[in-house]
Amino acid sequence: MSTDRVAAAIRDSVATDRPLRISGRGMWLDAGRPVRANASLSLRDDTGVVSYVPGDLTLTVRAGTPLAEIADVTSERDQWLPLDPYGSPDGTIGATLATASAGPLASSFGLPRDLLLGLEFVNGRGETIRAGGKVVKNVAGFDLSRLLTGSWGTLGVITEVTVRLYARPAVDRTFVIDLGGPEKQVTSIVRAIVTSPLAPYALLLLSASAARSIGVGESPVCLIRFGGNEAVVRAQVSALSQISRPEELETKIWLAVRQLDGKSHSSIRISSLPQRVVAHAARMLHDDMPFIRTSIDPRRGILRIVVQSDGDGHGDRAESADLRVTGENGGAASEVIFEKLPREVWPHVSPSVVGDGLSRGIKTAYDPHNVLNPGILGD
Amino acid sequence: MVVERLAEIVGPAHVLSRQSELLVYNSDGLPGYRRQPRLAVFPGTREETIAVVRFLAAAGLPFVPRGAGTGLSGGALADDIVVVGLHRLKKIISLDVENRRATVEPGVVNLRLNRHVSPHGLLYAPDPSSEAACTIGGNVAENAGGPHCLKYGVTLNHVLAMTVILPSGEIVELGSRVGERDGYDLRGAFIGSEGCFGLALDITVKLTPKPQAVRTLLADFTSVDKAAHVTSAIIASGIVPAALEFMDGATIRVVEDSIYAAGYPRDAEAILLIELDGLEAGVVADQETVRRICLDGGARQVRVARDDAERMKLWQGRKKAFGAMGRLAPHLIVQDAVIPRTKLPEILATIHAISEKYSVMVCNVFHAGDGNLHPNIAYSADDPAESERVHKAMVEIMQACIAAGGSITGEHGVGLDKMGYMESIFSDASLNAMCELRGVFDPEHRSNPGKVVPVHACKEWHGIPGSAKSRGEREASPLEAEPSRPFAV
Repeated sequence: MSTDRVAAAIRDSVATDRPLRISGRGMWLDAGRPVRANASLSLRDDTGVVSYVPGDLTLTVRAGTPLAEIADVTSERDQWLPLDPYGSPDGTIGATLATASAGPLASSFGLPRDLLLGLEFVNGRGETIRAGGKVVKNVAGFDLSRLLTGSWGTLGVITEVTVRLYARPAVDRTFVIDLGGPEKQVTSIVRAIVTSPLAPYALLLLSASAARSIGVGESPVCLIRFGGNEAVVRAQVSALSQISRPEELETKIWLAVRQLDGKSHSSIRISSLPQRVVAHAARMLHDDMPFIRTSIDPRRGILRIVVQSDGDGHGDRAESADLRVTGENGGAASEVIFEKLPREVWPHVSPSVVGDGLSRGIKTAYDPHNVLNPGILGD
Repeated sequence: MVVERLAEIVGPAHVLSRQSELLVYNSDGLPGYRRQPRLAVFPGTREETIAVVRFLAAAGLPFVPRGAGTGLSGGALADDIVVVGLHRLKKIISLDVENRRATVEPGVVNLRLNRHVSPHGLLYAPDPSSEAACTIGGNVAENAGGPHCLKYGVTLNHVLAMTVILPSGEIVELGSRVGERDGYDLRGAFIGSEGCFGLALDITVKLTPKPQAVRTLLADFTSVDKAAHVTSAIIASGIVPAALEFMDGATIRVVEDSIYAAGYPRDAEAILLIELDGLEAGVVADQETVRRICLDGGARQVRVARDDAERMKLWQGRKKAFGAMGRLAPHLIVQDAVIPRTKLPEILATIHAISEKYSVMVCNVFHAGDGNLHPNIAYSADDPAESERVHKAMVEIMQACIAAGGSITGEHGVGLDKMGYMESIFSDASLNAMCELRGVFDPEHRSNPGKVVPVHACKEWHGIPGSAKSRGEREASPLEAEPSRPFAV
């Protein structure tokens, strides 16, 4: 699959009036609103490194390249792409950017949009467009790279991306802290960590059911990851020991964290002011239900709720969580991002996130025939 | 009639229409470009701004939003149209220390925001060298950078949300003040749109905790080449300095001759100003690694600033270097190309060869860690022969950077200055996609017309009254945007 073939497929879709379901390796097809498509376009065969200059810490790959392959290629040069979205490492870089998927490393290294330097995509008329470039700083022209990130394939099919890499830290250690104590104590531990000078690579709080699912205990926990030179990691571990009693885990626990979703029927993110999330974290963690896996990134202000298929939660919990975070101080205190819901629920909960005038105008300009993932973000 | 109506909105003292009064607004920080505005209006409140934009929309008048006018791309110039100056909108609307964010009006000066948040142990990371004058609104328009963007990222990475008034007068919220949101990243699309998508009425930015420890190192070299190789070696080592700045011998001596003298070694052919920050323990270890890389790479010595006063002095020399160039000649032309960092030694050698070929003095002072070059030439625009040589040299330097896989601008923006190069790095379809995006925000192309994307690259757009195209305005190309073009009032 080359860019030309993607362009040809899109032109064909327009000519035959057969809208396309765009996918990478099809690892997360049940996310997003139902797509009105009767043909599909997969980027799974469009893989591989286009250029990699370790000295520049930049990497250009075809969009179908799995994240695991990027990890392999870059680790040979002691580098990495610090992007750890939930889901299988077999997921593609193109899909990760298209859905703006991020994981626990985002609070230190940024969201996908922050790691992206440039991309190539094919719009809904079958035209190939390049945005950004291959250098680490670039303001040439309007920022189409950011526009495409998180557009879920509805503005164009991403065919190639250039990302910025980081050197792997000399030391990379992960610790777990038990948060099974009373709510007050948990809140004070979390607050102490968040307001301290500690600069962990990742900081994630897990409810008991989430912790159990990845085998790190039967009560709520805090996972904390430190990276950098030997001295900076040692100093932080020692400072953390003043706050609580951390136990070391193997770093590969983060691979398990990425698979936290398991067999889910819904997943929802609630994004709010970090301090508000910290204030409510303990209660959210303690309200445990076996079929709901809750994770909280307090620095990013993100609460993520995954409802397992064997439960019948139907997002009720998500709604109450949202109300709780919203309740304080009144007003729209949080944003709710629905990643995955049962088909029939969408029209009631979140019919569209692109219904405003600007979003509609952009969709019409880039995909005038509405052949790219129609409906996935709503209309 | 237009003047009277605008005067009713903002008060007569805040509308300028006499040609002599408007002279101040006929250029930005790049004095080679001059365009005389028809009139200038300076709203003092959000409500006045909205009323001004809506009046201009109703009258079908094109306009150019302008902050402090410190831009370096000719982007804030208004060619016989209206300037909407926003520097009076300077309220810091709110500061949320706990959640590390602030909401400000567009005219708030970058450094003033930093001074405001500093007592709370916070900083606003993007720090363009013009920070003492430039505004947050202008920073958003240009997606401004600065030395510390190497580690902390550019404006794009620090703006959470904006209230924007579109050229039509419609008000929209982009991004989210409370968190992340889904849907198209209209916030991201607006940042760096160079005033072509409308103007921000307020901006919510992310603040960063001040680092526990900061070390500023000055490494000096007897050759540009050695300093360039050391830069590449530091980046390749994986250490991410807070800043990694390069100044060549010519720049060092100009700065040392000026009131901004920083104590740089005058006999050096290059210096690197390297700042490391973070937790004390980590910084101490990185400092030793960086010192070792510099010495192994041929640095004569590596000096560490002993205190804040010395650190500030070292930085002042760097940040005021463009100002110091004023000593050399009346005009200055500056470029902003970005190259892959491994190409630094070869591109600096190429720039040197080009400067010899055209007998011009190129001074290099730039963000080496990002590969963001700022070759600049001081010259006299009154000397047509010199101007021509300067211009040819600059075009050749840009072509070399593009050939090396670089970008034409890292932080200054396209504006008028680099529009002629857009077609060397983007295809027709890519430029058209940019036009289409602009067309959604500003269907009539009334906000900052004739900038960023060459009009002829816009397939679907045939121009409206008052636009550059319909007025038959020439588009700048690298060779015709001569700084030597005489300016007639």
